[in-house]
Parts: sequence; C-alpha cells; structure tokens
Amino acid sequence: MSEKIKEWPGVALKDADIKEKKVLFTEWRPNLKYAWDTGVGYGRYFEGLRNGRIVGTRCNKCHRVLLPARAFCEWCFRTVDEWVYLKDTGTVNTFSIAYTGTQAERLKEPRIPALIEIDGSNGVGIMHLLGEVDPKNVKNGMRVKAVWKPKEQRQGAITDIKYWKPFEEGTR
Amino acid sequence: MSPLDKITLVNQVQPWYGEIPVYGQYTFGVAGERFFREIKDNARIMGTVCNSCNLTYVPARLFCERCYNKLESWVDVGTKGRVHTYTVACLNLDGSRISEPIILAMVQIDGTCGGLVHQLGEVTPDKVKIGIPVEAVFKAKAQRTGSILDIKYFRPC
Repeated sequence: MSEKIKEWPGVALKDADIKEKKVLFTEWRPNLKYAWDTGVGYGRYFEGLRNGRIVGTRCNKCHRVLLPARAFCEWCFRTVDEWVYLKDTGTVNTFSIAYTGTQAERLKEPRIPALIEIDGSNGVGIMHLLGEVDPKNVKNGMRVKAVWKPKEQRQGAITDIKYWKPFEEGTR
Repeated sequence: MSPLDKITLVNQVQPWYGEIPVYGQYTFGVAGERFFREIKDNARIMGTVCNSCNLTYVPARLFCERCYNKLESWVDVGTKGRVHTYTVACLNLDGSRISEPIILAMVQIDGTCGGLVHQLGEVTPDKVKIGIPVEAVFKAKAQRTGSILDIKYFRPC
C-alpha cells in the first residue's frame, strides 16, 4: 500500500480458487533439461572421481593448485601447467551440524557438511559431508579421509565420495 | 599429458545432465475470465466497448489501451470475422513434416478492434486469401474447457 492508497480495489485470488478451479487458468511446465559440457578441466576431474582419485591442475606462475581442475588459471589468465593427483585425505577447515535436510525436512541424525582442505593442494578446500563420527567430536583441524562408493556405483560425480571419516595418521 | 592436449577419449569428458523444475499458472484476469467463460458456457465471443474512442475490443479488455478508460459495457460481437493475416504451417513444433498443413490465421471479428490468433478449417491453403469472411466453429459444450481451443477453427462463410 502507499500513502494515498490504503486498500486496493478488487478481490485477490486465493490458492483455493485455483485448486477448486473456480477461475480459469493455463498451466505451464517448460522442459528445462540441460546438458552442461564439463570441458577439459572439470571433465577430467569428474572422470578422476569415477576412478577414485582427486584430480587438480597446477599453475606454476601463481604456485597454486586449482581444484576442481581447471584448464586456465583465473588469477594470471594462463593455461595451467600440469595435472596433479591429490590424496584423498584432508583437514576440516570449517563445518556445520545440520538438523535440516535439503527439502527443509527435520533430521534425527544430523548431516555434517564441511569444507575439507585436500592434502597437497596447499589449502584448497572442497565442500563435502563428514560421516562415521559423533557430531560432538567434530573439530576444526580434524584429519579426515574419503570413503568412496564401490567402483561400479560411481557416476563421475562428487557424490562418488560417500563422506569423509576421521582417521589416524599412518593408518588406512 | 598437458592440460591442453586434445581429449581423444570422448568418455573422458562427460556432460553433466540436469533439469530445472519450473511450473507456472496463468490466470486470465477479470476480463479474460468473463471472455472465456462466455465461450465455454454460451459459445459467444464477447467484446468490451470504449464509448469515447468508439471501439470494441476483442478479446475483451478491462481498460481501453488508447484512453485508459475503464470498459464496463460488454457486447456479443457474433462469430463472424475476416482473415487479417495468415500463414501455412507445414512443420510440427519438433521440426517434423505435417501431412496436412495447418493454416494459422489472425481473425478480426467484424466491427471490432483486435483479433484472435487461431486456425482455419474446412478450407485448403490455396483458397485462403487475406480478407475472406470466416466464422467460428465451436466444440460441443461438453468438450469446452474455457480455452481459446473451445473454438475448433474458423471456416469460410
């Protein structure tokens, strides 16, 4: 409403008017399927996940690892110099304990999304979930290791890693 | 392998598939509601009259787009009109060939301003000309749903 208009004329439509078909309307359900060409960098990154390894690229000018792999360094606009194959271990940089799921449903067992800095990437993190751990025991700086799906279930996606579990240095 | 080497194995670059769920409902508005109800219930085409501009709008509108007056006088404009313009469609939406071409036309109802985009029936493309008189053919009442497709087609008269 505004300064001059305190009430608009007419009757607003209610959800029930549509549901009970009291008013005429057309429905519209566009087909918005898409296929995103993953390209050289992400393509090999996803293919790497299918094969159970984490693939990045390195820019020798900026002395950094790009993860997920990219073909160009967006800092210096050069083609990257080489592929790097990183370990599936890392360190929890930050985390959250979520009692709400992706459909806004309540969860009895919380999910623990975390940013995990991958070993050998000099601090580049990926978003993922923690598992096999009591939420109370999760700490920043905790060492974690990827738990992969069985090879035949992998699809070339970040979900090919089921979750990350805590591990002791020197064990598998 | 350098990062810019050509990828020779196509399965190394898979597309990422997705779908964006979008659903929309479009209500016809105050004038559209009455216009389509009349088609559905009474098989009548209605227009609204602007007395200051001396125009009848079809399809019916709530406001005159020339003088912005509110239009409150409704008239039955009949079912006859003229082909204002037309095109002959030989392809489906997916690009495949239609065995029987569809004649799409904008029909201006006699004595009114505006027009209805629809299709012509009971006529072959070579008989269609701009300006030929046509009339609306309605579906049976039970089949009408309150859509412009409640008019089956326009045919020469």
